Parts: sequence; structure tokens; C-alpha cells
Amino acid sequence: MKEDAASESTLRQFLLGNVDQEARERLESLFITDSVAREKILAAEQDLIDDYLDGSLTSEEKQSFIQQYADTPVQKRKLRIAASIKDWATAQGEEPAPPPEPARASFWSRVRDILLPKPAIAIPIAATAMVGVIALAIWLNSRMEPRDSQLAMQEEIVQLNVPSNLSKVPAKMPSLELRPGSTRSGDSQDELVNSPDSGIAELRLLWIQEQYPRYTAVVRRVGSNKSVTIADLHAEDDGKSIRFRLPDSWLTRGEYLVELTGITANGAAGVNEEYRFSVRN
Amino acid sequence: MARDPSIPPESLEEILAWLHPDREAAGVIYVQLRQDLAKIFMWNHCNDPEGLTDQVFDRVAKKVHQLRETYEGDPRLFFYGVQRNLIKEASKKVKTQVSLEDCDLPTNDPEVEETENMREECLHSCLQKLSPEKRELILNYYAKEKQAKIEHRTEMARQLGTTVETLRVRVYRLRATLEECIERCLNRMAQRK
Repeated sequence: MKEDAASESTLRQFLLGNVDQEARERLESLFITDSVAREKILAAEQDLIDDYLDGSLTSEEKQSFIQQYADTPVQKRKLRIAASIKDWATAQGEEPAPPPEPARASFWSRVRDILLPKPAIAIPIAATAMVGVIALAIWLNSRMEPRDSQLAMQEEIVQLNVPSNLSKVPAKMPSLELRPGSTRSGDSQDELVNSPDSGIAELRLLWIQEQYPRYTAVVRRVGSNKSVTIADLHAEDDGKSIRFRLPDSWLTRGEYLVELTGITANGAAGVNEEYRFSVRN
Repeated sequence: MARDPSIPPESLEEILAWLHPDREAAGVIYVQLRQDLAKIFMWNHCNDPEGLTDQVFDRVAKKVHQLRETYEGDPRLFFYGVQRNLIKEASKKVKTQVSLEDCDLPTNDPEVEETENMREECLHSCLQKLSPEKRELILNYYAKEKQAKIEHRTEMARQLGTTVETLRVRVYRLRATLEECIERCLNRMAQRK
């Protein structure tokens, strides 16, 4: 928030209609013009609603809340919807926890298992040790390969996005412009179709929040652990969008989420926006 | 309600251009501004927040041509100024005390029971539209109550590598999307009846 951050208690009193006119107008102006303040106030409002539904408000707060948030049929409907979401979440939380997955055997226990002599078979100790060493080498190699390829991919992505490379526009490179999730209807989905001739794809993310000196994008494939981080991105000259590129070998068919965060001059994370798209090869 | 004939027909385009030179970005700001103004009217106990928001835009539309040349600063603050005047003009409704029972979850009213079933159906339909990670985030966020809730969310934020405040905003966005989806679903169901 541009001004001194309103404390949680001040925001709560504002939302309950219990602040003076000057404070009210100050917070309302911030709400309209400062996107960080706006979301902070709306998140505080959601917490207030949750506390009402939990029965955590004092009787005075409850009376103020009802006057502010439970006066009209539309408001009551919104409260019921909020209650149904909370009830669902609470009910899910009360279900017995699934049995824990068997603990994955540690590396040393697997080596031990390989080296343990089979009861019915007498194997010379030297041969057993040789088997163990070979198994160890195979296991270590299998752990290294995915990590090496991940590092190589990350390095490739860094190179794709250095400013000198970003300024070049390869022929037939597919490009997709995305709007932030906060401004889209819930039902639409943007789709990227990879070109077999290009090798890379470009995403252009529309940015309508305040400007930052740089940005970081985290791209995640929905339903997997696969993600990549692209740091030190800069807005286009008009400040309205941020571009970055990814190798199409990384963009396999599926749905993806991008979280784009503004980074302040001292390295702190600022406003972030979410974008969604799918890939069709 | 018939449109005020004194409002120039090109005023919407002028308003959009004033909000942002890029038309698409302007459209996004316009939609958010409408939502924010309606919210502020609600906070100020005004009847018909949507209708009053229309009045704000009508008033600005009549002046936008001159404003684009003369006004300095964030155009949204001008809209807020017009809103402040409207709030003063609107008469404040005297609030009657609302029975606390009235706000509890309904029990015997058949019409409300039917709506409760519809709400559940819409909730489950909308939950399916969320990714498993987002459903998990909401579930985990509401896992505990009272003091345990605060500690749990602090730990959750730490594990996600973020701050409690960022986590809170992220959950707010998710909940807002879910609530909007449920409202749209309920409206569709009501139209079918």
C-alpha cells in the first residue's frame, strides 16, 4: 500500500462501518487506485465474513456486520455461498486422513537390501559387494540424469530470454497473448498451438498493475511437479506487457499456470497476477 | 431504464480512452472500476449499488470530453469524487435490526431448502473447474480454527515460500472466483426453472 499500511484492526473497523469520514475516504481512495491496497482490503473482508460464519465476532461486531453485509437478499445470498464453501472445506478436513504412504526406502536401506545375502543362496561376499557397487552406480546415474536435463533446460530458457535474443523474432514462432486471471471470466481458456518448425513459443502477458523494474514468471504444468522460473524479465516499452519464451519441447500438451510477480528495486516481491493457458501440439 | 439523451453516444469510447490508451487494458480497468464503485456504495449502505454506479458513469460521460484535456491525475479518483457526491445525495436507509436467526443457515423453508441443494450442486460443479492444487490450497487454508488457524497459515506460507499476506490474497482470489462461478451457476439454474 502506498500510504502507511492500514492495520488489520483499522481495516476491520472500516469494513464494519466504524471509522470516521476522513479515514473512510482515505481507504476508499486507496481501494480504487492502489491494486495492492484493494486486494488487502478484499482479503480482510473475506476474513471478516469467515469470522462471522465461525461465530468469532463480538456481539457489537456482529450487529455492525449484519448491517453492512446481511441487509439485502443479494448480500444474504453471498453469505450463504461463502458458508457453503467453508462448510465444504471443513467437512473435507474432518474426513479421516488417508493412510500414510509407505515410507520410501532410504538410499542406504536400499543398498543394504541389495547387499543382504539371500537365505537360500550362498553368494560369495566379493560377488555380493560387486553387485552392490554396480547397483549403486546405476541408481546414482538414474538420479543424476533428470537433474542434469532439468538444469540444461533451465539454462536454455535463460538464454532464450536474454534481451538480445528476445529482440529477434524467429519465423513461424507461435505466440500467445494472455490476460490476467483476475480479469477473465472463469470459463474461457487460451490455447497455444506449437509449431513443428519453430522450436520455441512466446507468451505475452498483459500487465495492468503498477510498473516494476523487473518481473519473475513461474510457469507450472497443472497436475505435475513440472515448473520453470524465468527471472529478470522486463516490461515492453509501453509497459503494458511482459514477454518471455519457452522451448516447445518443454511445453507438452496440457494445461499451464503462469504466476507473474513484479520485483521492486530492492528485490522484494510486489503485485502478482496469474494467467492460464493450454497447449495443443 | 432509458438512456439519458444528453449523454454523447461516443462517451463510452472516450471514457475507455481516458482510463488507458490501450483499449483492452482500458476495458479491464473499466470492469474493475465498476465493481469497486458498486462495492463502495454497498459499504456506504446505498440502495441499488449497480444503479448508482451507472449514475456515476453517466455523470462522468457528460464531462469526459473536457476532462481528458484538463484533468490531471488518476482518472479513477475523479469517478470516486462523483461517487462521493452521489453518496451524500442518496438518502441513507434506516436499518432495521436483523434477526440473527435470519442470517443462520435456513432449515425448514422449502424454497430455501431447494436453493441449498442448488448451492451444493453448483459448488461441486465449480470445484471441478479448479485445478487439484487450487482445491488443495483452499482445503489446507481452512483446515484449522481460531489460534491454530493462524499458526497453521503461517506454516503454510513458509512451506509455499511466500508470506502470510500473499497467501491470504491468493486464497481471496480463489474464493472470489469460486463464489462468482457459484453465483453464475445459481442464476442459470433459476432461469431454467
